[in-house]
Amino acid sequence: MNRFLSKDFLSGLMFIAFGLIAIYFGQKLAQGTAVRMGPGYVPRMLSYILLGLGGLICVVALVSGSEPVEKPKWKPITMVTIGIICFALLFERAGLLPALVVLILISSLGGEEFKLTEEIGNMVALAILCTLVFKMGLGMNISIVRGVW
Amino acid sequence: MDLLNNLALGFSVAISFQNITYCLLGCMLGTLIGVLPGIGPVATIAMLLPVTFHLPPTASLIMLAGIYYGASYGGSTTSILVNLPGESASVVTCLDGYQMARKGRAGAALSISAVGSFFAGTVGTIIIVLFAEPLTRMAQKFGPADYCALMALGLVAAVVLASGSVAKAIAMVFLGLLFGLIGTDVNTGAQRFTFDIPELSDGIDFAPIAMGLFGIAEIVVNLERHLTRSGTIKVGSLWPTREEIRRSIPAILRGTALGATLGVLPGGGPTLGAFSAYTLEKKISKHPEEFGKGAVEGVASPEAANNAAAQTSFIPMLTLGIPSNAVMALMVGAMIIQGIQPGPEVMTKKPELFWGMIASMWVGNAMLVIINLPMIGMWVKLLTVPYRFLAPAILLFCCIGAYSLQNSTFHVMQVAAFGVLGYVFVRLGCEGAPFLLGLVLGPQMEEYFRRAMLLSRGDPMVFLERPISLGLLIATAALLVLMALPSIKKARKEAFQEEG
Repeated sequence: MNRFLSKDFLSGLMFIAFGLIAIYFGQKLAQGTAVRMGPGYVPRMLSYILLGLGGLICVVALVSGSEPVEKPKWKPITMVTIGIICFALLFERAGLLPALVVLILISSLGGEEFKLTEEIGNMVALAILCTLVFKMGLGMNISIVRGVW
Repeated sequence: MDLLNNLALGFSVAISFQNITYCLLGCMLGTLIGVLPGIGPVATIAMLLPVTFHLPPTASLIMLAGIYYGASYGGSTTSILVNLPGESASVVTCLDGYQMARKGRAGAALSISAVGSFFAGTVGTIIIVLFAEPLTRMAQKFGPADYCALMALGLVAAVVLASGSVAKAIAMVFLGLLFGLIGTDVNTGAQRFTFDIPELSDGIDFAPIAMGLFGIAEIVVNLERHLTRSGTIKVGSLWPTREEIRRSIPAILRGTALGATLGVLPGGGPTLGAFSAYTLEKKISKHPEEFGKGAVEGVASPEAANNAAAQTSFIPMLTLGIPSNAVMALMVGAMIIQGIQPGPEVMTKKPELFWGMIASMWVGNAMLVIINLPMIGMWVKLLTVPYRFLAPAILLFCCIGAYSLQNSTFHVMQVAAFGVLGYVFVRLGCEGAPFLLGLVLGPQMEEYFRRAMLLSRGDPMVFLERPISLGLLIATAALLVLMALPSIKKARKEAFQEEG
């Protein structure tokens, strides 16, 4: 087993990456002095700590080993993420109903089982529930189908 | 008596029609998600945070609290009947609860766990009432340096008691703190890490992050795992035998005491309470061989402990504004959404909210006994709903909820982004809870840190010169040193293996 593909080593790398990103994008923030701290003082401090901890975690993982990462399944996470993004894009432009249909369709393609009739039933039930709860119950200002209701 | 006046005020708030309705709603929802595997209290509360924006502050906090302790009741039902813990605090209940059910004592196990939970909840509520005022008074004497040290202790303790690798969890806290700084710097008005996105200048919103990290990531992991279900069992008579009662009363008392103590600790809470209580019962029992084969103590004590801990974990959040676990971090978020700054001022400035919430916990516990016992059949039926129906519903509520925060689809995009990040965390074995705690405390902690340094003219020794701050920092350091000791490391590893 490749010892670089362990959970701990990779999470160490992740912390280092976040630390570097924060340092890079925080460059322009004034550091100030310890008495009058500028907006950049605390972020920079945190970034250095993250770099240090990340490095430590990496070294420990390489020296004493750690669990290997499980091979990720790409389908569920990809489908769910695409589903949410489509929902975000459609919600204001087309309304709740189309956004809901697309979200459910795409995200359930990520699961193991997919039966169209069941999904349609699910959509109808959820559409009614959401209309009742959010539009009527909470009185939220959302359109079910843009331009129609 | 001040205490009685406060309680009277609390109960008058708690039993108003509106609040009792939301309390019932919270308890029902809590039981529901406790029964359903694959969705826990953290994800549910995150999902409902935006909805609470539309409710009055007291009602919304009462409802969220109801979800939290309701989940521990619901979780025990499925643990006993179908050997499926609905949430992590009821994992131990499976061990003996399901065995009792297989012996035909399911009804007795259920009623003992409900009554034990109710007793523990009552004691927990009394403890909150007794400790709230002195703790709040103490907290009011705290200076910025002391607060900073207190938060450090809270964060470290939360990490230490949470599962997994300490170094990774601490790094997650710092990552959370860093994310908490996104937005406009309060002191100078400078934009930090906003990437010229106007939505980020008010700071990163808490609810979409929690939904992404806990809701979306949880759904994805469950979709991968393909949840399976075992057959259900008949409930039978709800009445325990005299022997069962005799054995469970002391167990309930012990569980309550242990759970209430562990609940107050940062990082404590229902799960830790339940596990410790089970271990304790097994150790002191005259018949340790019965454990795992349907010992009634193995149900009574952890059930009492998890409920007592669920109640007392409100203490640090309500009095000091320091959340001790992920659910409490969300409660802090809910308060902030309502414009209430959590901390010692809540009790003095909003007594009706403070005492109303405490009183409602007792009311809620009483309701839960009623909801759970006679309606058990209905909850069990819900178990047959397949996860592929549940997942789209959760996704949809997260999306609409995120949108409704500020009527902006930017927040929905945030949910997607943090869903991916949450999935990465899960795959790398990094806990989401420390991240969330850091995120909530980040802005406040920076503020106190800067104020303390300003007052001391840049001398970091201020943290060691003030007695309160020094004491808290020594406690923090001691905890960290303790964790590095080999014997404790080993014991911790074993404890979490049992859990996993």
